[in-house]
Amino acid sequence: MNQTDLLDQFVIEARECLEAIGKRLLDVEQDPDNDELLNDLFRSVHTLKGNCGLFEFKPLERVVHAGEDLLDRVRHRTLAYSAELADALLEAMDYSAQLIDQIERHGRIDSNADARSIAHASALRSFVCGSEPAPSPAPLAAVPVIARVPVSSEDLAPSWTSRLDLAAVASKLSVLALRYLPEVGCFFKGEDPWRLARTAPGLLQLHVASASAWPQGEDRAAWDCYQCNLDIVLCTDAPRSEVEAHFCCVAEQVTWCDATANVGVAAPPGEPAVSPLLRQRVAVLWSDQCELLARAGDSAGTVGAARRALSNLLGCLDGPAGSAASASLAEIAGEVSASSLLVWARSNALAVEVVAVTATASEATMPDRDIVAVLPRVEDSSAASPQKVLKVGQEKIDRLMELIGEMVVAKNSLPYLAQRAEEVFQQRELAREIKAQYAVINRIADDLQHAIMQVRMLPVGAVFQRFGRLIRDISRKLGKEVNLVVEGEDTEADKNVIESLADPLIHILRNSLDHGIELPEVRRAAGKPPAGTIRIVARQESDRVIIEIQDDGAGVDAARVRNKAVERGLISADQADTLSDDDAVQLIFLPGFSTADEISDLSGRGVGMDVVRTAIERINGGVELSSVQGKGTTLRLSLPLSMAVTTVMVVESAGRRLGVPMDLIVETVRIPACDIHHFKQARTTVLRGRVVPLRALNDLLALDAAPMLNEAGELAVLVIRHDNESVGLLVDHFHGASDIILKPLEGVLAGLIGFAGTALMGDGGVLMVLNPKELLQ
Amino acid sequence: MYRILVVDDAATVRMYHRKLLSDAGWHTDEALNGVEALERVHAQEGDEAFDLYVVDVNMPRMDGYSFVRELRRLGPRHQAPVVMVSTEAQRQDVDAALDAGANTYLVKPAQPLDLVLSAALLLGDRDAALVAAQGART
Repeated sequence: MNQTDLLDQFVIEARECLEAIGKRLLDVEQDPDNDELLNDLFRSVHTLKGNCGLFEFKPLERVVHAGEDLLDRVRHRTLAYSAELADALLEAMDYSAQLIDQIERHGRIDSNADARSIAHASALRSFVCGSEPAPSPAPLAAVPVIARVPVSSEDLAPSWTSRLDLAAVASKLSVLALRYLPEVGCFFKGEDPWRLARTAPGLLQLHVASASAWPQGEDRAAWDCYQCNLDIVLCTDAPRSEVEAHFCCVAEQVTWCDATANVGVAAPPGEPAVSPLLRQRVAVLWSDQCELLARAGDSAGTVGAARRALSNLLGCLDGPAGSAASASLAEIAGEVSASSLLVWARSNALAVEVVAVTATASEATMPDRDIVAVLPRVEDSSAASPQKVLKVGQEKIDRLMELIGEMVVAKNSLPYLAQRAEEVFQQRELAREIKAQYAVINRIADDLQHAIMQVRMLPVGAVFQRFGRLIRDISRKLGKEVNLVVEGEDTEADKNVIESLADPLIHILRNSLDHGIELPEVRRAAGKPPAGTIRIVARQESDRVIIEIQDDGAGVDAARVRNKAVERGLISADQADTLSDDDAVQLIFLPGFSTADEISDLSGRGVGMDVVRTAIERINGGVELSSVQGKGTTLRLSLPLSMAVTTVMVVESAGRRLGVPMDLIVETVRIPACDIHHFKQARTTVLRGRVVPLRALNDLLALDAAPMLNEAGELAVLVIRHDNESVGLLVDHFHGASDIILKPLEGVLAGLIGFAGTALMGDGGVLMVLNPKELLQ
Repeated sequence: MYRILVVDDAATVRMYHRKLLSDAGWHTDEALNGVEALERVHAQEGDEAFDLYVVDVNMPRMDGYSFVRELRRLGPRHQAPVVMVSTEAQRQDVDAALDAGANTYLVKPAQPLDLVLSAALLLGDRDAALVAAQGART
């Protein structure tokens, strides 16, 4: 693990937190009295803020911190949850997401992020203060300046130098200590005290504390977080002139002290350099144990732990006093009460030279626990941490998927090999063995393919999640009330399918919101509840995923659609009159169709439902619309579970092999030539009591050959589904099914109509895969 | 080798704490919340037990205070020092930690020196404590 790993982890977790926050905010909006939800929401923000603290991402931390404070009040019911508050939080979280993006790209936040982050943070803080956010320079004047606790002015032997470990720098020739108390309003002068201190020349040590006590209770709400409350002490071994030049802009805020002279005082000669820091820490921990024992009561566990800690602390001290104390602790045998151990600990505090600290520990507000901002330095090491969930880059999975796909295709060459062994080399036995082996490989390949599919499967809920926010934002903008109901979000489909689903779904939802759901007063007049409902229902039906988007809005007005279509020249007026209402509403899928009278911000922009249909069909899906005027509209999307490996049926026509996607095929039949009926140019046959139009594949492909009859005088008919109807394609032979990886047509072939793409076959040949829909158009 | 259990719901913090502690030469394990931490404690077989617990306060399912309270009800072999780590820096937060039975309290983000030195001293690992204190000089 190194710094980059930690940063990567941070980005991943930050994204998760932001997503959880976004989702929870919407949940809370539905159910603002649910403590569980509020706590959950708070915790996500809290985690994010805590993680920010590990790095120096000030603008991000500022915004998240403001959000945390706000939610802390909401969860403690000192501030009411409101839609405006949620708006501000959502906006702030959107902005945080941008910052995370920056961090991921550059490893840091752009330096110009400060202004916006302050604006977001103060927008959030304004809820706490109960006032509108003021432009950034103003809050300083608006909020009462908290008087700074006076610092001891007798700086002859300044007490603040004790915050430094001067003994440790005793070996330096000259040590300069200084205390820097930045002005309260320094942030508004563009100063950055922390940075200034950290970049001091020859910096040896740095200690930061708060200049005044942090406000408690009620005061905390009124506290202006843009005031500087830092008290910085540092020491350096650079020449004074150089240090003075560094701090020249804030010279009046800096107190100097030549620490070289004080070193003798801080560390008696002969004392090992390392011990003060250790002793100091032992003292803090010793007093902690005393405090722990004072409140341990009769908890044997706590006493045991305190005793172990005390014993361990003594073990770390050298010298006769330490070992004597160890011995006396060992003498206190067996079960001891908290009070007797406390007596012992207090009396032996002298032994570890911490008596002074122990006595004052309860009064002092954590002597060593001032805010210390530190950028952790984490170096490289091979220590790896075990993970329960393995997060893998998508490209690795895609690569694996491609390889497995290639293998699935490559294994198809074995049957050809077996055939050759038998027919060309007369090795019947070998052919059988190859076939047996093929069966094994085939099974493994199937399992592999299934396993990788599982890895790539995502619940469709992953894409639904963002809709809550989308619908909320849009409906508020339109002044409509909409409830979103999501069902079956656990239904799984391939990642690629899910991802290509997002845009069409958003488009559909926008349409529903913009054109479907009516304004509350219109709905009331129509006898409907004022709030509309949009339901998204997902489920699996055999090897397809079905997603239905239903709204209880106005429905599609068939008459209006007819008029628009004619107006836009998409169909003629005569055609429009002959269309049934059901057929008329399907016109909205035509390119260039839009019923919106004016281009709206939402669903206007000239893209219509044809974009949705194209996008869905690109992933081998289908879309159907049904609408009842006044009652609502339902869009039904049918999608493949996966789009990596396609099964095609290989057919032969005029000596060419062609593939037809299996999911379009209804059946394959052989029909005697005498059962084919000719009517002018068209040919039909009757299949199971229904008339099926027949088209010769050779004609469609402009191949100059008649469909071939077999010995029995029958024609091979491939019945496919086309626009909810069956159509028979006349071909020469059927060759069985094959798994292929469909590659789209590229280069000069890209514009070719009637073909879905190409695939490499097991025998090395290239198979052209038909797109029957385009062919039959 | 000393064994430390790091309990925190934030993966980034877990990674950071474990890195600091394992660099100091100790074996670390992790849990995502109090419930999981107790499971981890119970899973220690034979004489094995953790020598130190580094515990976050605010966690889902079971928070740090409850975890420490539960821990202190267990048998003596699990009674190792607890370092409570939290973003809150108020006196009452320290009090709450000590009331629950924690041995000391650090403010998040824990300064590497603070965490490692406190851990070394509470473990009784004198060499590691000296190295940590020495490292702070350079």
